[in-house]
Amino acid sequence: MEDEIKQRLQSYSRRLFLQRAGLLTGMVALGGGSYIYNPKGTWAADPIKVGIATDLTGPISWGGIPNSNVAKMVIDDINSKGGLLGRPLQMILEDTATNEQLAVTKVRKLVTQDKVDVVFGGITSSMRNAIKDTIVNRGKTLYIYPQLYEGKECTPFLYCTGPTPAQQCDTFIPWLIKNGGKKFYLPSADYVWPHVLNAYARTVIEKNGGEVVGEEYFPVDHNEYSATVNKIMSNKVNVVFNTTIPPGVAAFFKQLYEAGFSKNGGRLACVYYDENALNITPANEIEGLASCLDYFKAVNDPYGNKIQAEYTKLYGTKNPFTAGSAATGMYRGLRLWAVAVTAAKSLKREEVAAALDHAKIADGPGGPSEVVPGRHVKMNMYTAVAKSGKYEIVEKSKGQVMPGECV
Amino acid sequence: MNQPVASRTKRQIIPVIELTLLVIALILPLFLQDFWVLFTTRVFILGMLALSFDLVWGYAGMMSFGQALFFGMAGYSAALLATKWSITSVFVLLPVGGAVGLVVAFLIAGIIILGKRPPNLVFVALGTLTSSYVVERLARGWSYVGGQNGIPSLPRLTAGSFELTEGPLFYYLALVLLALVYLGLRILTRSQFGLVLAGIRQQENRMAFFGYKVQNYKGFVFCLAGLIAGISGGLYAFHEGYVGPGQLGPVLSTQVVLYALFGGAGTLIGPIVGTGLVDLFSFYLSQIWETGWPIVLGLLLLVIVVFRPTGLIGFLVSDRERVGSFGRPTKAAPPTPDARHEPA
Amino acid sequence: MNVVPFFFDVLAYSAIFVLVVLGLGVIASMMGIFNFAHGEFVLLGAYTVYLLQEHGMPVWMGMIAAPFAVAIVGLLLERIVIRRFYATPIVAMLGTYAIALALRETVRMLLGGQFYNVTAPFVGSFEVGEFSISKWRTAVIIITVLVMVGSYLLLTRTKLGLQVRGSLENPGLARASGISTSRVYAATFAFGSALAGLAGGLMVPIYSLNADMGVPFLIKSFLAVMLGGMGSFEGSIAGAALVGASSAALPWAIKPVVADVVVFLVAIAIVKYRPEGLLSKWRK
Repeated sequence: MEDEIKQRLQSYSRRLFLQRAGLLTGMVALGGGSYIYNPKGTWAADPIKVGIATDLTGPISWGGIPNSNVAKMVIDDINSKGGLLGRPLQMILEDTATNEQLAVTKVRKLVTQDKVDVVFGGITSSMRNAIKDTIVNRGKTLYIYPQLYEGKECTPFLYCTGPTPAQQCDTFIPWLIKNGGKKFYLPSADYVWPHVLNAYARTVIEKNGGEVVGEEYFPVDHNEYSATVNKIMSNKVNVVFNTTIPPGVAAFFKQLYEAGFSKNGGRLACVYYDENALNITPANEIEGLASCLDYFKAVNDPYGNKIQAEYTKLYGTKNPFTAGSAATGMYRGLRLWAVAVTAAKSLKREEVAAALDHAKIADGPGGPSEVVPGRHVKMNMYTAVAKSGKYEIVEKSKGQVMPGECV
Repeated sequence: MNQPVASRTKRQIIPVIELTLLVIALILPLFLQDFWVLFTTRVFILGMLALSFDLVWGYAGMMSFGQALFFGMAGYSAALLATKWSITSVFVLLPVGGAVGLVVAFLIAGIIILGKRPPNLVFVALGTLTSSYVVERLARGWSYVGGQNGIPSLPRLTAGSFELTEGPLFYYLALVLLALVYLGLRILTRSQFGLVLAGIRQQENRMAFFGYKVQNYKGFVFCLAGLIAGISGGLYAFHEGYVGPGQLGPVLSTQVVLYALFGGAGTLIGPIVGTGLVDLFSFYLSQIWETGWPIVLGLLLLVIVVFRPTGLIGFLVSDRERVGSFGRPTKAAPPTPDARHEPA
Repeated sequence: MNVVPFFFDVLAYSAIFVLVVLGLGVIASMMGIFNFAHGEFVLLGAYTVYLLQEHGMPVWMGMIAAPFAVAIVGLLLERIVIRRFYATPIVAMLGTYAIALALRETVRMLLGGQFYNVTAPFVGSFEVGEFSISKWRTAVIIITVLVMVGSYLLLTRTKLGLQVRGSLENPGLARASGISTSRVYAATFAFGSALAGLAGGLMVPIYSLNADMGVPFLIKSFLAVMLGGMGSFEGSIAGAALVGASSAALPWAIKPVVADVVVFLVAIAIVKYRPEGLLSKWRK
């Protein structure tokens, strides 16, 4: 009797399994289930496909979510004004999940299956490096990378619309020396961006009469900085030019604060710190922290404010529109690309790239920007200081700063 | 009523599954779009890795949480040869990958598995996990191998003057290698060697008392698995076009364990099926719920682990066939005079 | 080298680490299961504190609530999932891995992937000569010591503790003596989870809340338990103290990446040559 029941159950689950397998095969054959944002309304022509590949899940999701939000916002806006070349834009969103192995498959889908005309995305450099080959070489598609990074990405057909070390250091470091002091310490996360940024920063520091007392590298999740803090205090360092990143940075800032660094007049500097990052530690611990980015909410420019209002209305305040999360780079990249497509009157990669090589937009978050030779973008840079948990702009660059890459 | 023993044995399902899948795999590129050909190729490659894990766990009873270590190191070695020394021949890079996998497995086996006292299960599991973790961290910090970024933009594999592009060409390369490995393992596990392994898996001490040098068998299997993982690592690097520390670490190592368990550990076809299904599920889940799909994946894996530890193969295949019979099939014993008096 | 900050920081980190490992060690010793979701229990403790803070409650209240909240979660998981696997601990470990994935991603979704801070109940530092010693980190050390002493007393002086130790040494005999090992296991799992939750709650003002905060602890914790020896309370503490102290101390002398690797290699080597761990009383 028991055997019979067991057999029946087994054959039942067997049938169920085979049924489900059949369903799945059907799905595979039809290629169904994509995160596609279709343009509203009726259009005379086929849509232009825009691929957005970003980290919606995983440790970098704090950046990926605003990226995809901004993309959607801009694409809807372009569509509401008639699309590009009379065609609507269709956004195809893929989650790269902060997992490079998974990301390659997703990007491959965008490029091979959906045959998108352009890919925007990647936040960390490791993600960009993982997917760029699939997009640009094997997929022969245009790739626009929106995040601030270490530079030296000179692959053809790959455009970088976020700040480079030159843009973050050239005006910032002189300000730091004037408003902090000459002795610098460079505590860093151990990966490419801090290494390259530090090398560049060092030249600027020394050119302006400063001195690098120490440079140290930690794993990103390192949470014991007592040795470093001790060296900083005992060497009477004036400026801590920090490139440790979350999660380790929280512990570092706290330990630095508790050792009395800012109380004794030290200046904390961190070039990726945007409004989002202000939440990482209590406000008193980062009082006086200086950052240099292409946009802050505190810039209060009319265009930026308009974007903020629209963004908040659509997406709320949980994942705000900030420069550190590549959202500004994404905005800028999309607008510049739209300008290029309109100028080239085509979607062929070579023609759009030719137009993109010198595309410019008259206004954007933080001001206008323009693509320069080398496939990077010149833009305004702002120095801001954290006061009571909010940023205050203390310096604006004299015009757009050159990226200084790939020339 | 007296029935001869032979007709009471159940029909074997696994060979049917194997053959069906092989035939489907051979003709699939004719029907699938480009992207899906690439997807399936990747499934073959990762399936080979899952197979290497199952060899160690399902057949020899060692829980290796670090298979990705061999996979990744092979991938890195091949990538370094390709980028720094411009060697792209498949006939060099894949064997190198396999060799690296073998050597590293040998070293790890020496430290963790072999030695005076046989290690306990948990030690092997955690030891391999830790090795995978440590090497990943080292790779993340070592700029020569690209650090966090890894080595991007790898050239394509070449066979003579012929470029092995991804698509049907690479597909068949991966399929052929997978089939060869599969066949080899099938012969191995159905042989006397396999019988010894089964014994080790069930009751290690008894095998030792029989005089088998258990440690040597385990070591051999572990190294063989390392070799297979290495070959798949080499293939993966060139199919995806880059190597990164993620290919070395505990995330991939644990994922491989889940692939094998999902499909069915202790069989050879199970891990491959598991890889395909888990990857497919992940892919579709991420299309349906962009921000929450990892939660669903976790729950799904949990359900399988809890309710069906034999994996999906367990739905189709009886337990007895899963554990397997060994050696050549014995002819049904002729009924002895006494059997006539036994109840039917 | 400045001795006072050095010792304090090593002590402070080790205290947190010991608290995390204690919970894991208790579960591993009792049931032979290494709970891959232990890091996520720590996360849940931290999240509880944050959540309560968001609803206007004082932080210290959240810290008291955290171990209880996580104990309940642990208990539920034990009853529903883990109980089935006592015979096959490896499968249990994989089950906890899947649970860890689900928990971590759920919290990530709830947090929007962001980092949040929680203010410590005691802000600021003591001035000891020319050094500043964090008030909250001192409090954490004191609380850890109290918890360890309390747990020890619980284990050795109470009836429940006696039952736990009996089930640990000889489950069959314990059952034969009328002890419900099932209940003891449930209680142990809940207790281990509670410790993790407490650790998470205490550490969140120091390390800030985010979905991945438990991950770095996991493998180090496994190592610490193996090193110290399964089957004894003191073993887990010893292992945790050793691993924690060396993780905090070595970066003073060598590069942090290398320090990490050294800790692991030494621990593996020790466990290899002394598989029962340093202080084990486990009779197989």
